[in-house]
Amino acid sequence: MRTLALIRSGIATTIQDTGRSGHQQIGIPPSGAMDKFAMLMGQRHLGHRNNEAALEFAYGDLAFKTSHPCHFVVTGAPAIITIGDAAHHSGSLEHTEANQMVNIHTSGHGVYNYLHVAGGIAISTCLGSRSTSPRERIGGLEGRYLRDGDILPLGPESKDYEALDSIMPSTRHRDTLCLRFIPGFQFDQFSETTQQNLISQVFSVTPRANRMGIALSGDPVNTGIQALLSEATCYGAIQIPPDGDPIVLLNDRQTVGGYPKAGAVISGDCHRLVQSRPGQRVRFVAITPQEADRVAWLEHHYLETKLS
Amino acid sequence: MKFDVGPAGDVGLRLVFSQSPKPSLTYSLLALQSAARRQFSDALMDSIVSYTTLTLFFHPLTVDRERAQRWLEDQARAACDSPDSPDTERNTVTLPVLYHPSVAQDLEWLAENQNMSIDDIIELHSGKDYFAYATGFAPGFCYLGTVDERLATPRLATPRANVPPGSVAIADQQTAVYPCSSPGGWRVIGTCPTRLFDLNSDPAALLCVGDTVKFEPISMAEFRAAQDTPAKQ
Repeated sequence: MRTLALIRSGIATTIQDTGRSGHQQIGIPPSGAMDKFAMLMGQRHLGHRNNEAALEFAYGDLAFKTSHPCHFVVTGAPAIITIGDAAHHSGSLEHTEANQMVNIHTSGHGVYNYLHVAGGIAISTCLGSRSTSPRERIGGLEGRYLRDGDILPLGPESKDYEALDSIMPSTRHRDTLCLRFIPGFQFDQFSETTQQNLISQVFSVTPRANRMGIALSGDPVNTGIQALLSEATCYGAIQIPPDGDPIVLLNDRQTVGGYPKAGAVISGDCHRLVQSRPGQRVRFVAITPQEADRVAWLEHHYLETKLS
Repeated sequence: MKFDVGPAGDVGLRLVFSQSPKPSLTYSLLALQSAARRQFSDALMDSIVSYTTLTLFFHPLTVDRERAQRWLEDQARAACDSPDSPDTERNTVTLPVLYHPSVAQDLEWLAENQNMSIDDIIELHSGKDYFAYATGFAPGFCYLGTVDERLATPRLATPRANVPPGSVAIADQQTAVYPCSSPGGWRVIGTCPTRLFDLNSDPAALLCVGDTVKFEPISMAEFRAAQDTPAKQ
């Protein structure tokens, strides 16, 4: 069997694909790659057409060996890949010999990287996905973060892929990241002052960030709403707890919650937010659902043409 | 019955009825959820019924938002005209509970705070049927109502880092069983030996929104014997 051995497991390393759906009613979040674009680019690059799983890791610092010669690609935050004496920038097809040490290091910005090895991480699926949801201990390898020394099975390498042009890293420097959001949920119940406070100020990304969500800090947003009946959250939901610091809810969010929500950041901007390090300035810009659909179409078209 | 349909992010629609939660409303929402599954089929990725809301999530770019919104509004209006009846037979699940201070760290506190005996608490908590209004927080975690107001207690100011699996707990007028160990701020008054969530079972979660739940007091000996036996339906 072809395997991958994790020599240095890195930070918050999990097995992920694009996530699971249809189980939120019983409290199971979608999970899946935090930077979905990076995940899709890696899958397409290697001809992975069946949602093959990759390794997601944060603040790139990972080392691995494979049992057989194989191809791989690293997507997401820009990284440096060292194979033997040769160092490369991430984003192109790479090849490693059996038992050769491969090191991956972050090159300065962005958060999440994806290591796609040809054939994918071939663990069994759980509720339709290989994605790890560590809090629920579902999916992945025993539902947990990976550790040094873990050995992972690899699927058969597809023969029918062509190496694509080098693929773009997901991150680039932005002085202030614009988070377009669709107002909704309790937004209309906020006072005009509260709405303005949310929309007009520049927040910064805090270190309180994980796969569940990213907390922002700024001038506290006082919603004046005490208690709500628990209701569905959603991807990108801007949840405002009593301390007034907004939290953007992400892949491993609780499926329902009782804190007020101002609306939800559109998916494309969530993918940029997850790659933002603490201190990144962000601001919220309200857009209509129709504008959001337009952005989604453009990004979909970009992926299709760039990677077909 | 008033309702509102609005966006839930770039791929979601949220229907909310402006009224207090009650079982008949939950039945209407569950019927709408089933209708949405039939209507949108694979384009509907996920959906959640919780108290007074139904939230639908679609695959990106598969559904015309305005048409879907009109459909949901029409369905909600129709539900207002003919509410109440459950669309399918709903389950009644009986959960055995050991109410004992050795397994329930807030039981004695609650008795003292509410100025009643532990037996009074057992009688009040197990003496009525509960309705499952929502699930979430953790897989298989079900929000059950409505707890007798004499037992209603606010959450702990600081949640505990670890509440053991099976803990039966109260927060305000809601009660629930923790399916697995997790942080939690609800007041623990008992423990239930029945597994509420098991990936090897189908369905994985024992309780669903719309179910009725009964709590049955058991002795320490019965608790030991009952661990890991299936629930009575």
